[in-house]
Amino acid sequence: MKSVQHPRRLSGAVALIGVTALLVSGCTREEASTPSSSGTAEASPGITDTTVSLGISSPLSGATAGPGSCTVAGLDSFLEAKNAEGGFTFGDGKTRKVTLEYLDDAYDPAKAVANFRQLVNKGIFAYVGALGTPTNAAVMPIANQQEVPQVLLTAGAGEFSDDQQANPWTSGFVPTYTTEGAAFGKLLVDANQPITVATLVQNDDYGTGYLDGFQSAIEGSQVKVLDSATYEPTDTSVDGQVTQLAASKADVLLSAVSVTPLQVGVLTKAQSLGWKPRIFLPSNTSTPATVLQPGGAAAYPDVYTPSFAKTPASPAFANDPDVQAYNTAFEQYGSKITKTYTPHCAWSYAEGAVLGEAFSTMEEPTREAFMTSLRSISGFQAPLLLDGITIDTTKEDQAAVFTVNLVRYNGTGYEPVQGY
Amino acid sequence: MSLLELQDVTASYGQGSVLHGISLSLAEHGATGILGANGAGKTTTLRAISGTVRTTGRILFDGRDISGLGPDRTARLGIAHVPEGRGTLPQLSVRENLLVGAYQRRDRKQIATDVDYCLDLFPQLQQRIASHAAALSGGEQQMLAVARAFMAKPRLMLLDEASLGLAPSTARHVYEAVRRLRRETGLSMLVVEQNAVLAFSVVEHVTVLETGRVTVEGRTDELMGMDSVRRAYLGG
Amino acid sequence: MAGALVRLRAARWSRPALALVVAVLLVLLPLVSSPYVNYQVTTMAVFAVALLGLNVVMGYAGQVSLGQSAFIGIGAYVAGYGTTHGWPLLLTFLLCCLLPGVVGMLVALAAARLRGLALAMVTIALPIVGTPVAKRLSDVTGGSQGLTVSWLDPPSWVALADDQWRYYVVVAIAAVVFLLTRNLVRGRVGRSFAIVRDNEAVALSMGISPYRTKVLAFTLASTIGGASGFLYLAVVQYTSPETLSFGTSINLVVAMVIGGSGSIAGAVLGAVYYVLVPVLAGQLDASRTALLSGAFLLLVLFVLPGGLVSLPRRVQQLLTRRRRRSATPSDDPGDRTGTPVLTSDGRTP
Repeated sequence: MKSVQHPRRLSGAVALIGVTALLVSGCTREEASTPSSSGTAEASPGITDTTVSLGISSPLSGATAGPGSCTVAGLDSFLEAKNAEGGFTFGDGKTRKVTLEYLDDAYDPAKAVANFRQLVNKGIFAYVGALGTPTNAAVMPIANQQEVPQVLLTAGAGEFSDDQQANPWTSGFVPTYTTEGAAFGKLLVDANQPITVATLVQNDDYGTGYLDGFQSAIEGSQVKVLDSATYEPTDTSVDGQVTQLAASKADVLLSAVSVTPLQVGVLTKAQSLGWKPRIFLPSNTSTPATVLQPGGAAAYPDVYTPSFAKTPASPAFANDPDVQAYNTAFEQYGSKITKTYTPHCAWSYAEGAVLGEAFSTMEEPTREAFMTSLRSISGFQAPLLLDGITIDTTKEDQAAVFTVNLVRYNGTGYEPVQGY
Repeated sequence: MSLLELQDVTASYGQGSVLHGISLSLAEHGATGILGANGAGKTTTLRAISGTVRTTGRILFDGRDISGLGPDRTARLGIAHVPEGRGTLPQLSVRENLLVGAYQRRDRKQIATDVDYCLDLFPQLQQRIASHAAALSGGEQQMLAVARAFMAKPRLMLLDEASLGLAPSTARHVYEAVRRLRRETGLSMLVVEQNAVLAFSVVEHVTVLETGRVTVEGRTDELMGMDSVRRAYLGG
Repeated sequence: MAGALVRLRAARWSRPALALVVAVLLVLLPLVSSPYVNYQVTTMAVFAVALLGLNVVMGYAGQVSLGQSAFIGIGAYVAGYGTTHGWPLLLTFLLCCLLPGVVGMLVALAAARLRGLALAMVTIALPIVGTPVAKRLSDVTGGSQGLTVSWLDPPSWVALADDQWRYYVVVAIAAVVFLLTRNLVRGRVGRSFAIVRDNEAVALSMGISPYRTKVLAFTLASTIGGASGFLYLAVVQYTSPETLSFGTSINLVVAMVIGGSGSIAGAVLGAVYYVLVPVLAGQLDASRTALLSGAFLLLVLFVLPGGLVSLPRRVQQLLTRRRRRSATPSDDPGDRTGTPVLTSDGRTP
């Protein structure tokens, strides 16, 4: 009989221990505030005269772990390197060192919300750079309700940037999908000749955003879309769609496929059908080593992709001082978090510089002052950004980076293009 | 009126027909043994009644045609099948197995009385009451299977090869208990058995099957007198 | 020996006493703890309900289901739709249970004739199909960007913060669901689940239709899953196709096994594991959470094959073994996990 009762008693105890552990790690109801001694305005949580604490929750495990880890590693590299130089100079004349708390949400919205609350509970000043559309979408209403900055997000969905009135505490960093699509459209329109296009996009708002940007850019021009197809991210093959599109014999294939193996499939299938259009690839599936080389991209007359940051490993930038600084900092700090490079490492490194820029004009140690400074950056040349691309946070409906350069595959890496 | 009546029943697994038109009848409180060689169709006859094999012909239980009903339906009508190979619930204790047998019943007090009766019938089970069924010996499992079938308060028990794989003394033990069960409760039974001596200890009527057909039937004492039966099933 | 006796006697009154202590703690907890802790404990309640549903079909009825996340997702979407369209709370909740229940039943009607791997494959189809469907029905679901709601704010007559109010609502509903399910699995229905799980032939001979029993188990599981979807939306205030994803289902199965399958307490412990271990792993090293969680999983399965719920029995077993080193092991099968459901009801018929 006792063996029947015992487990319940002790399992209750185990549950209690769990709750206790949470209580200990999460402390109590009183707000953990660290007031600054000076200044006219009372300091926000997470900032003192010598330190400021930032937080981020990104997928560090699971399918999106690669890009997610990079959003932490690149940012951490910039911040730590700057700390080692003495710290960030703020608009109120003080110099502060920045600490970055990072947590793993495995691309799970519920965990992202938990992590956000945990970070706020620990007293972070701002939540920065997090990757993922669903995770950030879940955090957004809470951040805005609690008036905690949720800024410079590494998410291509438009919703984080397109309505600053509704979400004054949220901002995006990387160009939206619409921006990428529009860049392709503009390139074709600028060629000023009749061009035919076939499109393949993901059947959701990622694909819709891409297509919307593209179509509004080509409106009224000589560029014509002959045929369109969609796929599901869970599809195992897009051969059928490619075969259908190949029948159009279009000059250009806009292949907004976000799944790496499927994108490789597009490149192999089209050429096996004898259809060799110019190819436009989105920025998230255009890495030479994992997409272009396995897909045999060299067979196509041209492969374009949007880009806004330099590739640190590329020989073309070997002598670039920004790249050298990045490589040193990443070697020392970022490589502890991840060793695999994705463009997100470079992006989040640049994002660190944007934060520094905002700090430099921030005159009071408050979240309000931070948001004001962050929203008034324009023409800022952040490190690692391609020539001609600058940070502009003053647009009400755009991410901090809203221009992209198109680059062309040259058989090994990418090089700038000047036209179609 | 007889409790169970089979009229020209055939049964088949897939294409091969196993029963070719069997008729038999069992009176209320009666017990009939089904004898026959391997493959004669003994087990299939029980399956035909409990509804686990496809049949043609008529099977009347208490005047109602039950052919075509699934095993769960026939069980609810009061037919308890103790299958070959026992079929106890290994993860559950002996007591739990007995209670499982009473699943369809709601008379809690009587269930408790019946559990006690089963344990009195099979004292070995009393000693293993808290053990997993998996831990029981073959004989104990067979006893448990019979007891569990009894717990359903059936009107007819189908007992299939209860002696299979048991030591002769254990098998005798099981059949002694079955005989007592019949004597004390008047439970009707259809008993399939290779060992005719054991079967004869329980039943009053016997039906002999050969390749899916009834060849001989009659009262036990009549058959005992028949040379052919004696030679074939009683070892002389 | 005397100590054990005292403990045994203590156990008799300590169980209701402990239940009371736990209840009081659960009531007081949100008043003193931070919004973060409240959020986490509320999340545990949500997943405890989800795991309870999974436990009904997998633990009690023994049928593999890899589709539980789909029902959470459907429940959450129904709740989201109801909220944005101003349906009454009770109606929303009932529909959150009903719709996933109907979907689960329809799938089960087709799938319950299958077994083992074939059945598992059919249940996988739910999240696999559900995710793109949720993305496509963007008018209802908000597409892949998901559905954000602002919902379940405390009424004006209650002096509670959002997190506290939601905690009470969610924990109260979860408690009721647990109570109902507990009564169900301890009764006749639970017994039929156990019989079908252990031996379908015996089930048939007892007049139980395994097919109908399985359909019932799936329907219950999906209904409870839908209820947890309602709670999920109440806590997270957001849902997206990710909620339905297959990965969530797998994690739920893992959490159920870790907690202890076929056990009510196991569902709670599984939820504690589901929520707490990633947090603890994140505190140790945020960039190695998967590795640390995996290590913990293996550790639990090696040391406690019956799940966390078997921990006390295991400890007791080890203590007893040490106490009488040379004695032969007892006949009582001590490694028995919390699976059979007949014990409590069955012992006193």
